[in-house]
Amino acid sequence: MHLLDAQNITKTFGGLTAVNDVTLTIEKGRIVSVIGPNGAGKTTFFNILTGIYKPDKGTILFDGKPIAGLRSDVIAALGMRRTFQNIRLFNNMTVLENVLVGMHTHLHAPFWQILVRSPGVRREEAKARERARERLAYVGLDAKRDELAKNLPYGDQRRLEIARALAGEPKLILLDEPTAGMNPQETDAATELIRRLRDELGLTVVLIEHDMRLVMAISERISVLDYGTKIAEGDAATIRSNPRVIEAYLGKGAAGAAA
Amino acid sequence: MAAEVKAQASSSSGQRSFTEVLRTVFGPVGQLILFIVGSALALSLVVVLLALLQIGARPDILTRALTILPQVIIDGLVRGFLFASIALGYTMVYGVLEFINFAHGEIFMVGGVVGAAVSLFLASSGLLAGMPGLLFVILVIAVGMVVSGALAVTVERVAYRPLRGAPRLVPLISAIGVSLVLQDLMRLMMTNTPLGFNARFNTPDFGPPIRLFEMNLGARPVPVILPPKALIFIVASVLMLIALNYLVNATRLGKAIRATAQDMPTASLMGINVNQIVALTFLIGGALGGAAGALFGLNVGTVNPYMGFIPGLKAFTAAVLGGIGNITGAMVGGVVLGFLEAFVASYLSLFTNGAFSGAAYADIAAFSILILILIFRPSGLLGEATTQKV
Amino acid sequence: MTTTASSVSAWERIKTALTSGPSGYGFMVLYAAVCSWLLLTNPRTNLNTDIVFVLFLLLVLLVYRSQLVLGFKLALVAVMLALVLPIFGTLNPFYIDVATQAGIFIALALGLNVVVGFAGLLDLGYVAFFAVGAYLWGILSTPQITLINPAWSPVPPIMFYPFILIGLAVGAFFGVLLGLPVLRLRGDYLAIVTLGLGEVIRVLANNLDRPINITNGSQGIRDIERPPLIFAGFVRDTLGWQLSDQQLYQQFFYFAILLIVLLVVVVVGRLKGSRIGRAWEAIREDETAAIAQGIPLVRMKLLAFAVGASFAGAMGVVFASKQLFINPPTFDLLRSINILSMVILGGMGSIPGVIFGAVLVTLLDLQILPRIANVLRDAQRAGLPIPAAFDPTQYQRLLFGLLLILMMIFRPQGIMPDERRKEELQEHDSIPDAIEHAKIPDTESEVGLK
Repeated sequence: MHLLDAQNITKTFGGLTAVNDVTLTIEKGRIVSVIGPNGAGKTTFFNILTGIYKPDKGTILFDGKPIAGLRSDVIAALGMRRTFQNIRLFNNMTVLENVLVGMHTHLHAPFWQILVRSPGVRREEAKARERARERLAYVGLDAKRDELAKNLPYGDQRRLEIARALAGEPKLILLDEPTAGMNPQETDAATELIRRLRDELGLTVVLIEHDMRLVMAISERISVLDYGTKIAEGDAATIRSNPRVIEAYLGKGAAGAAA
Repeated sequence: MAAEVKAQASSSSGQRSFTEVLRTVFGPVGQLILFIVGSALALSLVVVLLALLQIGARPDILTRALTILPQVIIDGLVRGFLFASIALGYTMVYGVLEFINFAHGEIFMVGGVVGAAVSLFLASSGLLAGMPGLLFVILVIAVGMVVSGALAVTVERVAYRPLRGAPRLVPLISAIGVSLVLQDLMRLMMTNTPLGFNARFNTPDFGPPIRLFEMNLGARPVPVILPPKALIFIVASVLMLIALNYLVNATRLGKAIRATAQDMPTASLMGINVNQIVALTFLIGGALGGAAGALFGLNVGTVNPYMGFIPGLKAFTAAVLGGIGNITGAMVGGVVLGFLEAFVASYLSLFTNGAFSGAAYADIAAFSILILILIFRPSGLLGEATTQKV
Repeated sequence: MTTTASSVSAWERIKTALTSGPSGYGFMVLYAAVCSWLLLTNPRTNLNTDIVFVLFLLLVLLVYRSQLVLGFKLALVAVMLALVLPIFGTLNPFYIDVATQAGIFIALALGLNVVVGFAGLLDLGYVAFFAVGAYLWGILSTPQITLINPAWSPVPPIMFYPFILIGLAVGAFFGVLLGLPVLRLRGDYLAIVTLGLGEVIRVLANNLDRPINITNGSQGIRDIERPPLIFAGFVRDTLGWQLSDQQLYQQFFYFAILLIVLLVVVVVGRLKGSRIGRAWEAIREDETAAIAQGIPLVRMKLLAFAVGASFAGAMGVVFASKQLFINPPTFDLLRSINILSMVILGGMGSIPGVIFGAVLVTLLDLQILPRIANVLRDAQRAGLPIPAAFDPTQYQRLLFGLLLILMMIFRPQGIMPDERRKEELQEHDSIPDAIEHAKIPDTESEVGLK
């Protein structure tokens, strides 16, 4: 069964068609990349999947449930989590607290019990902290748990965003340019982390990425968007040899990578 | 869009046909007149309908309602232009900085107080009685504009500019502070001078009320009168609105303001001194507010340091109603709100047989409109399509 | 910096000596004893007592900031606030009234802090909920209720106690009612709309004497009931204190409000440290990112609004009963601004900061400004050129206005900002480390507001 099944998604802003009749299906346990030149509609597509925008047309099934038009927080609670292209952490909260916020949908202490701080609440809170620290340890940030998120170096901020997304125990994780602005070593570490998410945690991962080395190295399937339309789909080899892709994107991309 | 491109092309060549200027300047005025006539007609219709609904129980209600109708419309016009001229200050600043200048109502108030001070000076030096009415009006408006404009620029420099780029609510809180400080500073000054807390705004004699026409309703014909002060208020406001339209839509300075409102960083890269433009926006908005304050004081006869607060809030409502950031919208919003308030104030009591006092509930009506507009149509009456951000 | 290093460390040494270790205990006890002695032996209202009273309150702050054993801190504060201050109150009614007022405003400011400080929603009409609670008790406990319907009769005064809870619920209800339509709005619009709503409530209070007299309009409601003095026999016979009814009521309201404030502090503190508090903070920091974590935006904002409003509603009941009289101007915009100033002055989101802000503003209002007014009057009589119509107590707008502007420009995070890492650093029990961290200046003037 497909974990995500988005059919014929279309979204227009005024006169501009940002996403045009795009279909994307993802099987459980896969690493899938969505690539395309800047402005191709990749992030808009993510925003539609996560409920920030409502699609004008099309259906989205997530784990068998229709989610098109649902509120963002409801979709997140169903187990779809994301990171943001331009890192959106809770800057003035600590690293640990950021992860705890990510666990919000899994904490159920009732209001009145919080007020009396019942044993149940204390247990839940202690467990949450422990779990959050596990998640931080998983991405290698446990030592920095008491620092403010804004004081972390750039690469750590990216990893914290992933830890926060992991805290929601997602089935599907959407990573929007997880290595943007990283140096080669950091990119390698990030690639490794993404692979581990799937191999060790069994997560399904969708990536938006510009770094072709990373895309080609870890994606099992690649979808290419250009001007809001899906122009190609397939494994790395297929995409590499697809003339439309080369024309629209890889030609420039390959030249850039070579240089 | 097309009009803008054309305007650009023609101004770059330095030539600009007279008819084109007329169109950019009077186009918005046409829109304004449309909304004035429209809302007056619509509200009058509502009044007649409500009267007809009650006519079984109270046979005289239609006559009573119609008797006061022309006066309500004049009142609505005066209120409308008052809100419009204050709303312009809000909307221009919002257009450029995306910031609600909460203290703008106090800038308006200062204009009124300064006008009262001028009138007190003239009265005590014996010049007032013999002064031509027109000269007096021009004098108080000019003084009000200068002082309020300068004050607005000072406030921007001292209390807002250091906070540019801070989270949105930080300058807003500072603006609330400015509003309170100005209220009490003016009170301090007024109560320690001959002005007093409730300062009289003396004027020369503007002559008897103008009888426009007579309505034949029932027993006696009812005269429809236009007080000369109301006429002054309306004429002066319309002239100011036209002048502002000319400034913003047909001059180089106006183009710089519009460019800054569109995109501040880019405008700055194009060689526009953004700080200067922001100051200019405050100057223009403040001057308009000051003029409105002087006119308001002249019309009402007294001013006090707290008189700016509620009109300020309502003018903000008007700006939102018309579509904040949109100059024509602010005028339209002001006029529509003014009519609505005048009708509620005059007819609520009549139609509920005195159970509710219209004057108090007019305020509630205004705030309800603000809330409803923000919830259901945050882009305002003129909406996105014709939005001309300052 | 390096040239003053020795003097700084000397200052640090003195500070450490006075706030920790054996010398710290000695200093605190001595300080408390001297202040108490001065207050109890010289209870007349004058400038000297004012100063001692302020020093007395300052001690609470010092104890809170010191590094002494928690039990000692609590015991010392308890003795001061629950023993010395009430006894002083029997000698001089003015200062205990100031303390009671401060308590009311602490509770209100902490409630507003949930909305503004925790969730980042600028509410300029907060006093509306206070008004709702006050009018609730004002109308239902007095013959005003018979004007609404002659068949109804006032509730007995003993119902005051359950009505505190009813005020809580009614406040929360109004919070949801007013919040529901407006909480989707962007921050600055929300501020203006809540201001409008606050004005609407005040206008209604002013005008709902017609067609049915519900609020008695601008006349206000008089002779609001106080709860019966059930403990009067105990105090007079068992303890042998011959206090008048007036004094007993003062003591009653002082202790009642002290208790409420304690409860509010505990509640607010627990919310802050819970999943709910974290969700509020996340919303304040970045709404889009918060939704992406599955946080239901509107529901959490409504909860913040309701919690803040419920405190105001409950305090309204107590306030009406204590004041005996309420009218619409009691609940004007200036009061909302007043409470907002407390939150901003102390530090948005910081519980100790907000308490500090509330006490400071109340002292300014009730003690310091009137004292300055006296000084100015004397100076004027002595022939100094002071404007005749200048009475500082009448210029609160000027004061709070300046305060808001200056705080926003120079210290938007408040005087005592939230120290989020303190607790966790103390877990490690490494004092030098803690000092190291505490000294890092927060140069960014961020207050999580958008």
